[in-house]
Amino acid sequence: MSFKIKLVGAVSALAVVASAAAVQAQVLFWSTQAKPVEEAQAMRENVLAGAGDVDYQPNDGGPWLTRLNAELQAGSGSIGVLGALHGDFSAMNPDDLVDLGGLGMSASDTFNSLAKLGTDNMQYIPWMQASYIMAANKEALQYLPDGADIDALTYDQLIEWTANVHKATGEAKFGFPAGPKGLKHRFFQGYLYPSYTDGVVRTFASDAAVTAWEKMRELWTHTNPASTNFSFMQEQLLSGDAWIVFDHTSRLAQAFNERPDDFVAFPAPAGPTGRGFMPVLAGVAIPRTAPDMDAAKALVQYMLKPETQIATLRTTNFFPVVDVDLPDDLPPAVKAAGNAVAKMSGSADANPGLLPAGLGAKGGEFSQLYTETFERIVLAGQDIRTVLDEHKPRLQAIMDESGAPCWAPDAASDGPCPVE
Amino acid sequence: MTAVTTDTAGDTRRAGRYVYLASVTLLCAWVLVPLYFLLINTLSSPEAVNAFPKSFIPEFDLGSLTFFANFAGMLSALKNSILVAGVTMILSITISAPAGYALSRFDFPGKELFRLLILLTRAFPLPLLALPLAVMFIRTGLDDTVLGLALVHTTLAIPFAVLITFSLFSGIPVELEEAAWTLGCTRLTAFTKVVLPLILPGITASAIFAFVISWNEVFAAAVLTIENRTLTAFLLQNLDTSPLHLKFAGGFILVVPALIFIFAVRKYLFAMWGIANR
Repeated sequence: MSFKIKLVGAVSALAVVASAAAVQAQVLFWSTQAKPVEEAQAMRENVLAGAGDVDYQPNDGGPWLTRLNAELQAGSGSIGVLGALHGDFSAMNPDDLVDLGGLGMSASDTFNSLAKLGTDNMQYIPWMQASYIMAANKEALQYLPDGADIDALTYDQLIEWTANVHKATGEAKFGFPAGPKGLKHRFFQGYLYPSYTDGVVRTFASDAAVTAWEKMRELWTHTNPASTNFSFMQEQLLSGDAWIVFDHTSRLAQAFNERPDDFVAFPAPAGPTGRGFMPVLAGVAIPRTAPDMDAAKALVQYMLKPETQIATLRTTNFFPVVDVDLPDDLPPAVKAAGNAVAKMSGSADANPGLLPAGLGAKGGEFSQLYTETFERIVLAGQDIRTVLDEHKPRLQAIMDESGAPCWAPDAASDGPCPVE
Repeated sequence: MTAVTTDTAGDTRRAGRYVYLASVTLLCAWVLVPLYFLLINTLSSPEAVNAFPKSFIPEFDLGSLTFFANFAGMLSALKNSILVAGVTMILSITISAPAGYALSRFDFPGKELFRLLILLTRAFPLPLLALPLAVMFIRTGLDDTVLGLALVHTTLAIPFAVLITFSLFSGIPVELEEAAWTLGCTRLTAFTKVVLPLILPGITASAIFAFVISWNEVFAAAVLTIENRTLTAFLLQNLDTSPLHLKFAGGFILVVPALIFIFAVRKYLFAMWGIANR
C-alpha cells in the first residue's frame, strides 16, 4: 500500500469527521425490539413512514444499555425515544426517564400500573405485547374432559385431557419446549409458579411449590418424551408428534399460518392461585437527555395510534396494547394467538407473572436454575423437597448479587428479593 | 537388491507427495468450502436455503442481496467501516512502529514494565470500558465520529502492532544500521534507506491485523456511533435473529470487503513469510 493512498484515506477521514459535526434534526428511535433485518426494514418503511423524520436503530441489549447510560451520565445525548421490554425499563432509575403522563395509555390497567415502575407517573408507555399460549390439534378436542371449557382450563383438567389422549392414541401427545433452545424456563417462571404459589422467587421452595412440581411430574407422564429435543413447538404441531403444546406466540405462528384450520389456540391453564401467564410487554420511553423533547413525545403518541399499532402487529407479530379493530386480512397466526392472549389476560383469575427484571447479567443463571430444578425433579426423578432446599441458597445468592427487587406476582421488597 | 531399494525410496517419495498433496487440498478446502457455501446460499432463494440436501450450483437468485441493496444506510455503513479501519491502520502503525523500534534498540528504565503495560490494554473487556469512553466522547464531541471510533480501535490494535514491529526490528542486526552510519547516513537516513525496506512487509502485516481488528469489532462501534455506523455495528448484531437466507447474504457482505483487502496486500504478507514477491 503506497503512502499516497494512505494520505488520501487520512484526508477523506478528516472530511467525514468534519461533516459528522453537522446536526441532524431527526428523532433517534433506540430499540431492542424488531431486531431481525427484515423487521427493522419493515419498521422503517411501513410503521414509521408517517412519523416524520425518524431514525430507527435496533440493537442488542448490551450496546443498547451502555449507550443509554453513557448519554445519561454525560448529560446530553442523541437518543430521542427508547423502545424496550418492561424488564429493561424496570432495571433503570425512574428519574432518568421523562414523565409521560397525559401522552396516552394502554387499554390494560395491569400494563399501565407496570409502566409506572413503582412511581406515581407513567415512566414508559406500553407499546406492544406478546405472550406464551397453548395450542392444540383439533383432533385432540374430542378427548377434552367432561365439563371442561377449553378457554378456562385448570391444570388438573389439562392433565386429565393429556391422559385421555394418551389412553386413546397409545402415545403421549403433550408437547413441551424442553429442548436446548426451548423456552421451558418461562413456563415455570410465568405459568407454573404463579398458578400454584402466587410468586416466583419468594415462594421458590414453599410447600405450594412442592405441589406444583408434583403436578408437573404428572403432566410429564403424558408428555412426548422427545420433548427434551423440542424448541419450536410449531414443528411438532405440524408433524403431529404433539397434539397439545405450550410455547411463545411467535414460535407457534408457522403452524397456524400453514394449516389454519387444523389447530386451535387457547389460554394457559389455571391453578389454585389463579391463571398464571407471562405477558411480554414492550414499551416506549423518553430519556431525560433527549435532544428534541417535543419531537420525541410526538413519536411516542404516534406509536400508540391504532393504525400504527396494527402496522406494528403485521411487522413484528407483537399485539396492540390499545383498543383497535383488527382488520380481517391479518395472518391466521395473528388472529388465533391474538384471541388466546386476549382471553388469557382478560380472564377473571388472571395472575400475570412478569419477565424476570433487574437481574442484569445474572438473568441466564436465574433461568438456568429453574431449568436444573426441572431436570432434577422431573427428568431425574429426585426428591422434590431435597432439590428445592438445595437450590434455595443458590437462588438467594443470584438475587443478592444482582440486587434485583421482587417483581409481580411476588410481593414488592426493599432491596434484593428474599427467598422465603 | 539395489532395484528394490530404489523402489522403496521411490514409494516413500510418492507416498510423501500424496500426503503433501492431500494436506494442501485439505487446508484449501478448510478455507474455501465454507466460503463457497456462503456464496451458494447468498445466491439462493429462501426455499433453497432451507431445503436439504444442498445444491452445489448456485441458482443465481439475487433476492437476498437485493434486500440488502435496498436496506437503508448500507452504503454509508460500508464507507464508514472502510474509513474507520483505514484510520485505525494508519494510527496504529504510526504509533506502534516507533514504539517497537525503541523497545528493540534502546535500553531504558521501566522497559519491561512498559511492555507489560502495552499488553495490559487488552486485559480489560471492551463492554467494561465502553461506558466511560462513551461518556467522555459525548463530552468532548468525539462521539459518533470516524476519528473517535478509530481511536478506540487503535487502542485495541496497538498491543499486537507493537509486538509485531518489536520482533521485526529485533530481527534486523543493529550492525546493518551501524554500517550505514559509517557510510555517511544519519540515524534517520539509515532507518529510511536500510531498515525500512527490510521491515516493510512486516509493517504491512501488522497493518492488516489492525484493519481486521477494526473491521470485526462490534461492541464499541455499536455504542460509539449512531448516525455514522460501521457495517458490523449496522448488520452483525441484527443478523442472529434474522431468517437463514438473510444471515448468509449478510455474512457474505461482511466477509467480501475484508477478503478483497487481504487479496490486495497479499504479496507483502507472503514476503514476510519468506516467499519472494510473486
